[in-house]
Amino acid sequence: MSNDLANKAALPMARSRGRALLCYVIAFLFAVYCIFPFYIVITTALKNDREIFAWPPVWLFHATLANFYDALFVFGGQGAGTFILNSIITTGASTVLSLVLGSMAAYGLARFRFRGRRQLAFWILSTRFAPPIAFVVPMYLMVLQLNLLDTHIALILIYTSMNLSLVIWLLRGFFAEIPIEIEEAALVDGYTRIQIFWRIAVPLVQPGIITAGVLVSIFSWNEFLFASVLTQTNAQTLPVYLSGFSNAMGMAWGQYMAVGVIALLPISAVAFILQRYLVRGLTFGAVR
Amino acid sequence: MTRDRLGPRAAWLLIAPAVLVLLALNVFPTLYALDISTYYWRLAGLQPPRFIGLRNYENLLGDDRFLNSIWVSAQFVVMAAAIEITLGTGLAFVFNSRLPGLATLRKISLLPVMLMPLVTGLVWFYMFNENFGVVNWLVSLVIGHRVAFLTTPNLALLTLVIADAWQWTPFVMLVVYAALQALPEYVFEAARMDGLSEWQIFWRVTMPLLRPVIFVVLVIRVVDALRMIELVFMMTKGGPGGYTEVTPWYLYVTGFTSLNLGYAAAMAVLMIAIVSLLSQFLVRRLAAGED
Repeated sequence: MSNDLANKAALPMARSRGRALLCYVIAFLFAVYCIFPFYIVITTALKNDREIFAWPPVWLFHATLANFYDALFVFGGQGAGTFILNSIITTGASTVLSLVLGSMAAYGLARFRFRGRRQLAFWILSTRFAPPIAFVVPMYLMVLQLNLLDTHIALILIYTSMNLSLVIWLLRGFFAEIPIEIEEAALVDGYTRIQIFWRIAVPLVQPGIITAGVLVSIFSWNEFLFASVLTQTNAQTLPVYLSGFSNAMGMAWGQYMAVGVIALLPISAVAFILQRYLVRGLTFGAVR
Repeated sequence: MTRDRLGPRAAWLLIAPAVLVLLALNVFPTLYALDISTYYWRLAGLQPPRFIGLRNYENLLGDDRFLNSIWVSAQFVVMAAAIEITLGTGLAFVFNSRLPGLATLRKISLLPVMLMPLVTGLVWFYMFNENFGVVNWLVSLVIGHRVAFLTTPNLALLTLVIADAWQWTPFVMLVVYAALQALPEYVFEAARMDGLSEWQIFWRVTMPLLRPVIFVVLVIRVVDALRMIELVFMMTKGGPGGYTEVTPWYLYVTGFTSLNLGYAAAMAVLMIAIVSLLSQFLVRRLAAGED
């Protein structure tokens, strides 16, 4: 019986050896398909030009770090160093800012009753769907008129606004799950509401904050559109550096793949650490 | 409950900063786009913006390039979403069969979701390359010759769909898988006791229970595929001959190559309208589930 239940929702599969084998084969092929482009990025970054342009493709080659050296220190005059630094600054600052503002708002929405609370929550959710491309023109003019073109602060604020809906919706669910008695007890002990929020509620939703933080920082790290339009030299981020590639069609695959490897480093942590709350994060709490 | 003990004042103190940011960087730009769209506003020229009412919108409706971009976007969104939802749902069932080792494969499969879309474009651009791409090598092993995927009119859009599906099918799989895991067991027990066969259970019990979740991912995927620009940027630049010119790309080129801001803003307003309409479905559904 327990065995039967284990298969509860499954397709009529995995009942027999044959079906189990089929599942393994499909799952294995899919995983290979998913991982293969990563393999291409990494190996191309390690190849020399002759091997990169070889036909048929070379599978065995002498790995070299020359492309990484070029990408980091030489390419485009100064290499990718500044771009990486800019990416870290904008990603870090926008993540912290959206976590602070987002967790406050999430707590306010989860723990207080006031008129229009639901409407407010759903309006915040709807901002998630705003297509960035549609905001590029007005944002460009706003940033231009505020004299903030090519500054970190412009990108940081824009990324914060793009990330707030995720943080708020994810954490609202986490806050709502805290047993209210804990906070009531603290209230009796003389804590103010703000102290309860910082000292009691926030530490209790730590998994949610970590999940939101990682997801949000990946979105900021990956963001290309605003970065490409709003920065020129000072505040250019890694995606902007990568986008320069297509102007130099086919010139420097190895170096760009090396930048690609740098760009994908932070993400590998996520897929493995975050499994548990990933779905909840990516669907704004719609699916748990 | 203490929910309202201190009243709305503390609540507003907590919520206001986030709301202010959203008002400034979401609501204001929307209104500003509306305003810009009523002007002839060129960034390059020295003349000040000139008010022209709804002329930009009239021009858009007669602009073949714009209408083409809508058609291309529609094709892209329908193909990408259809593949992602179908494959992702099917794979969710595969991964839901409880066999040792599948969890590891599932975790590996999730990596594409987090990849920088520009890198997705870069690597697929490289793999589809006619002269040294590995996809072309595989294709030539099967059919005997190479294919110019990226420069053949109908194939170019397909390469974008494939790259997009590679990145997002795992996302659909993960969400549907999570939903499968959360389905209540007693439902299946009851169905089995009623003597339903496995296929009947699948079609009459499992699928109806999954429908809301599939609906949620579908809307998310459609809305996100509509805004996709990175793959076009890296792989095709809208070519060949406009065959991959999705609306976001046309908007981008109009705004930042032709520097025709008023016209681009009119396109932006139309996009916001369409996306808001679509996302309303989702918001409604979630709102219904909240009570």
